[in-house]
Amino acid sequence: MPMASLSRWTMSYFAAALAFLVAAEALAVAGIGYPAAGLVEPATLLLVHFVAIGWLSLAMAGALLQFVPVLVSSPLAFPRLALPALAMLAAGLALLCAGFATLAGWIEAPLDLLPLGAAFLLCGFSLLGLMLVATLLSARPVALFARFVLTGLACLAATALSGAGFSTLLSGHGDWLGTVTLLPDGLPFHALLGLGGWLGLIAVGVSYRLFVMFMMAPEPPSRRVRPVLLLAGLGFGLALVGLAAPFAGIEPGALWITAILAALILASLFYARDILTLYRARRRKALEINMLASIPAFGALGLGLTLLPVAVIAHAGDGAIAALVFLIAFGWLGGLTMAQLVKIVSFVTWLETYTPRLGRGPAPRVGDLVAMPRTGWWFLLYYGGVGLAAATLAIAASTGFRLAMALCLAGTAGIVTELIGIRRLSQIKASDRPPAHERPRLLAARAEERKPAHVETGRIARPRA
Amino acid sequence: MNAGLERLVEIALRDVLDPEIGRSVVDLGLIYAIAATPDGRVSITMTTTTRGCPLAGFLKEAVAMAAGAVEGVTAVEVTLTYEPAWEPAMIAAE
Repeated sequence: MPMASLSRWTMSYFAAALAFLVAAEALAVAGIGYPAAGLVEPATLLLVHFVAIGWLSLAMAGALLQFVPVLVSSPLAFPRLALPALAMLAAGLALLCAGFATLAGWIEAPLDLLPLGAAFLLCGFSLLGLMLVATLLSARPVALFARFVLTGLACLAATALSGAGFSTLLSGHGDWLGTVTLLPDGLPFHALLGLGGWLGLIAVGVSYRLFVMFMMAPEPPSRRVRPVLLLAGLGFGLALVGLAAPFAGIEPGALWITAILAALILASLFYARDILTLYRARRRKALEINMLASIPAFGALGLGLTLLPVAVIAHAGDGAIAALVFLIAFGWLGGLTMAQLVKIVSFVTWLETYTPRLGRGPAPRVGDLVAMPRTGWWFLLYYGGVGLAAATLAIAASTGFRLAMALCLAGTAGIVTELIGIRRLSQIKASDRPPAHERPRLLAARAEERKPAHVETGRIARPRA
Repeated sequence: MNAGLERLVEIALRDVLDPEIGRSVVDLGLIYAIAATPDGRVSITMTTTTRGCPLAGFLKEAVAMAAGAVEGVTAVEVTLTYEPAWEPAMIAAE
């Protein structure tokens, strides 16, 4: 039976993702983007793509490269594509944002940077999709959680393709569209498919499997989980139709978006019930920091998704909608991602460092690598900043928003420091650390060195010496 | 059948700790069966908490190592199985 192994470049994806998050928060503190600029102005678009692609998508990609093989018990397909995919995504985002900077008048450069960046992003996401889809389909039958990931990847394809179309329009090459008006009408669907379909749906699907492992809870039966996928699939299907509607001369209005949000709310209700059941039925009574720090993220999802359709129907204005989308992006997706990064980084670091000691003597536990309660305080600071930032966005208090983002930035910087500390085994006493040349590298896992034991499949006959 | 040796192997396996929980593979219910022959050949059937666990190869090796170190054991065979699949109810009460 084949075993999953360590993903060599997952740490590099995480490092790049965190660098983009810190940059995005620093830009927000500096007053770049909404609310100082309009919602669809280049400065805001730059910031939004730093967060959506740079932070959330790269972190999600890194986590999937590590966990999809584990969850389907199959090695990652085409693992050599992981680094080129990361390079293309980072370069594509840099080019796209240079294009936004040109649109904003900050730099002088051709607007062709926008479609060029989009082309790089399409290539990077295609390589990522190829690795993940091939890995997922190598295990038959295709498991329910794998269907979440596959649906999310389909949403990613729609998001990336529509984004490429938008970038062509913004660069002034939209003649091929004739009278079809993709912008700004298509933006809400592009955002829904990206944040909700690619990032949200996959986070939901993967969390079913990972939370079962992390909390030692009984796996929910498929019949309970399936409605979540069906309802969310319906919502994102409607979003896809909304995105393509202008080609048929139809203008989907607020009602269409409300219908999508209604389907997503129903899916979230079923999801919330299941997650609550997992927390209650867990055999690990003491929650680790990753599961504790996920609780405010679920609160943010509940609040954001419940109020968003109300805000859309009531025409509550840009401020309220921006606040709720911020709550979902930074509170739910950002908070959940950051919480699980602590777990994934400590687990991978333990695997790299202490597996040879397994059964041969005392070794630190995975949780010993994390500095507690200090890490918990950083999360408190981050979530405090998120709550305050959402409130200040709702009342359009620009200065207050910048101060709140400074809190988020401080919390993020603290968590990044702790993650580096985990990689450097800073919480482990010197006598329990391996020699310097065997310690984990900061940005790349020692995947090859550990491979023989991971892929060992035969029977062991080891007579006593 | 060598009940005494099986018992000694089980005791030895209590030193193989899961790095996540800090409890032994025996307490976690990961050891499904231990069988020993009169001449000291030991067969162990075990599982992991999830299929494809990155620790599976190492846990199997650690179990073989711990069992092989027991006085009287002449050979160890460890088989990994997912039938039945492990579930949290298999964890021994603390």
